[in-house]
Amino acid sequence: MNTNLKISNVTKIYPGCVANDNVSLEFNSGKIYALLGENGAGKSTLVKILSGVIIPDEGKIYLNENNLKLNSPSDAKKNDIGMVFQHFNLFETLSVFENLIIDSDEQRESLREKIDTIMKKYNFSIDLDIPVLNLSAGQKQKVEIIRCLIRSPKVLIMDEPTSVLTEQETSELFLSLKKFSEEGILIIYITHKLKEVMQLCDEVAVMRRGKLVSVSEIKNENIESLANKMVGQNLKTIKKKKTKTSSDQLIKIMNLNFTSEDPFETNLMDINFSVNRGECLGIAGISGNGQSELFQVLSGEIISEKNSIEFNNNYIGDLNPQERREYLMAFSPEDRLEQAAIPQMKIFENVALNNFKSSNFFNNGLINENKIKEHSKKIISDFNVNTDNIELKSQFLSGGNLQKLIIGRELITSPNLLICFNPTWGLDVGAINYIHETLIKINEQNKSIILISTDTDELLKLSDKISVIHKGKLSKIMNAEEVTPEKLGILMGGAN
Amino acid sequence: MIKIVKRDQPSRAIFFFTPVLAIFLTLVAGGLIFFILGFKPFEALKFFFIVPIADKYGFSELLLKATPLCLIAIGLSFCFKSNNWNIGAEGQLTFGAIVSGGVALLFYEQEGFYILPIVILAGAIGGMLYASIPAILKTYFNTNEILVSLMLVYVSKLILDYLVVGPWSNPEGFNFPETRQFSDSAKLPLLFEGLRIHAGIFLALSAVVISWFVFYKTYLGFQMKVSGFSLKTAKYAGYKGKKMIILVFLISGACAGLAGVGEITGPIGQLHREISPDYGFTAIIVAFLGRLHPVGIIFASLVVAITYLGAETAQIFMQIPKYTGQVFQGMILFFLLASDYLLFFKIKFIGSKK
Repeated sequence: MNTNLKISNVTKIYPGCVANDNVSLEFNSGKIYALLGENGAGKSTLVKILSGVIIPDEGKIYLNENNLKLNSPSDAKKNDIGMVFQHFNLFETLSVFENLIIDSDEQRESLREKIDTIMKKYNFSIDLDIPVLNLSAGQKQKVEIIRCLIRSPKVLIMDEPTSVLTEQETSELFLSLKKFSEEGILIIYITHKLKEVMQLCDEVAVMRRGKLVSVSEIKNENIESLANKMVGQNLKTIKKKKTKTSSDQLIKIMNLNFTSEDPFETNLMDINFSVNRGECLGIAGISGNGQSELFQVLSGEIISEKNSIEFNNNYIGDLNPQERREYLMAFSPEDRLEQAAIPQMKIFENVALNNFKSSNFFNNGLINENKIKEHSKKIISDFNVNTDNIELKSQFLSGGNLQKLIIGRELITSPNLLICFNPTWGLDVGAINYIHETLIKINEQNKSIILISTDTDELLKLSDKISVIHKGKLSKIMNAEEVTPEKLGILMGGAN
Repeated sequence: MIKIVKRDQPSRAIFFFTPVLAIFLTLVAGGLIFFILGFKPFEALKFFFIVPIADKYGFSELLLKATPLCLIAIGLSFCFKSNNWNIGAEGQLTFGAIVSGGVALLFYEQEGFYILPIVILAGAIGGMLYASIPAILKTYFNTNEILVSLMLVYVSKLILDYLVVGPWSNPEGFNFPETRQFSDSAKLPLLFEGLRIHAGIFLALSAVVISWFVFYKTYLGFQMKVSGFSLKTAKYAGYKGKKMIILVFLISGACAGLAGVGEITGPIGQLHREISPDYGFTAIIVAFLGRLHPVGIIFASLVVAITYLGAETAQIFMQIPKYTGQVFQGMILFFLLASDYLLFFKIKFIGSKK
């Protein structure tokens, strides 16, 4: 049976922002629809309306011509609308089966049978009796999907499902989604990743600032056209100018090892590399292969042997991050909200996190607020952070603005080396472009970058040299021109 | 129609308004309870909140009770501000009292100006030692400080029990569970003839000033704040995050220990089983009612101290059980948490538009 879902003139207004402005859309089963937009474009609000989490101020939703009253998530479930959120709603310590039975009214045995059939049909292999905390992100997502499938939904909504997945998990997910679609489930796929839209979807609706900008078939679009619709202006394509490579060595890592006591961390084995001035070394890899540990070893959060890191002719392996900053190193960690910045603190307080002697942020143990504020204002204007209020709590900055603030804060020392880890993770196209431009500028000033990233495109765009990390070991270092995405993919998978 | 709307950013005014609202609601609810119990609500509230502090003696008693509450709450605010949940101030108070009481007993036959400072110092050190246990277990073994610090309260009370019944009990005390009286040199001087208010209040006031300075003006205060929000960030910034946690526990323990010293070398003058009417727990309410702000804590400690006095007056004059005092303390915390909802949401009254 065909499913037809119609959104008619939906409006949702928040104080100071129109999240959905008179949006009308129509979906038919048999196709996979992409809902595309930057962070804050209103796509999440729209799907929350569809799943009953948010009640719209105006407008109606029709499923097969029936006007739906979606006042709560359970109304959505009753009307066969299933939703998989970006953040999983699972109890980590309960078993997979227990998680699935919680919101089901079926008997244990019949439910188990049903789950087994679903898993067989879609080739899922998950042990139902182990606790959810032992599952990978991809498996957890499958549990969420099974939870929806149990109710044989007519509509399945996926909210940015690949942000936590590895490349393989992503392609597995896409296969499943295509299969669901063939079986008549209407799929709505929310994302801001253009490549995925091109790969997976049949039709695409683009939203910008709460408004529906366009609805079109994928075959009439390409990445550039979608990006321009999403951002609302023609994006310059950034290209790194090939600079003459200097042979002046800035940092050298020698026989560096790290053995962790935590079984969930990756051990680093025999890391050796060096970076010259003005160079960007990219480190590729599937997440969880030791990137986080490598970042921490380089930043000084994990201390290693003094001689294992030589920076600017000093051995600094045993120094903590603050001491390393004095040697003009700077660090931008992956986790913006829990590590690089503190959302509950004000912007200028976050700026003071990068404390180095010549900053005079703190004199004789006392806070020098004027100095910090002065610096903060400079960062905000130099790095285009979209606010003029340095007293604002950082939680009110978007991801892109927060990242600009962090990069800006790290660059005020004009460091010789910036080490960044997934600097554009989860950002929208506009912000990504800005960060990329900034990183290129750093190289042009003859300063160096170590870019640890799981985004292959980013690495190929910015790096002069590339290495791949797999299970805590680095591959040989290659010149970026010699590297193709395929070659990287093979190394990331662990083959030689 | 009433609509509840999320606030973008809590305003400063509402931040200090909700504690006042909480106190007001507590009075209303308290009056209602008295009414249901068959007392005249206004009269009962008068006996509870006005009569006890109507004279000089009453006011001195108010300050006497507010002193340990304020001191402990200041210490706790170091912990709470940095997201360390030290619930065991009562234990640190008790252990501080044990250590300083032990030192005071050593000097029981002696006189000398040097005795009191040693006794006070011993109390602070005792509180610090006791607070270091949950701190070290938290930083090095990832234990939950709420549980550890709370359970240690009961341990310290049992230690005190054992000491006053056994080895430290007064040889001439007819087996009463109490120690000898301390010598006058080991006691805090009284401020006024005939009133019980003692020099301990200056300890509390200096703690207020020092804490304000540390919180808002020093690098240490800043690092504490950062470490509290996220140890990962503290590590990334290069702070010694674990040391910070231990430090705030030590400060908090020292304050609680000093409060213990104030009690035993002030109004009590010896060690016995009941050295604190749960000041260490009540101070948690004080700390939050005062918004973890040093000045706020002064006011909060005065308000909460009244509930101790009022309970006694109400029992004497109206035969209202003195446990009503705890009911009031509970209600203050309850209404504070409830009205804190207003920090993040505002209530909008909308005409019948649709």
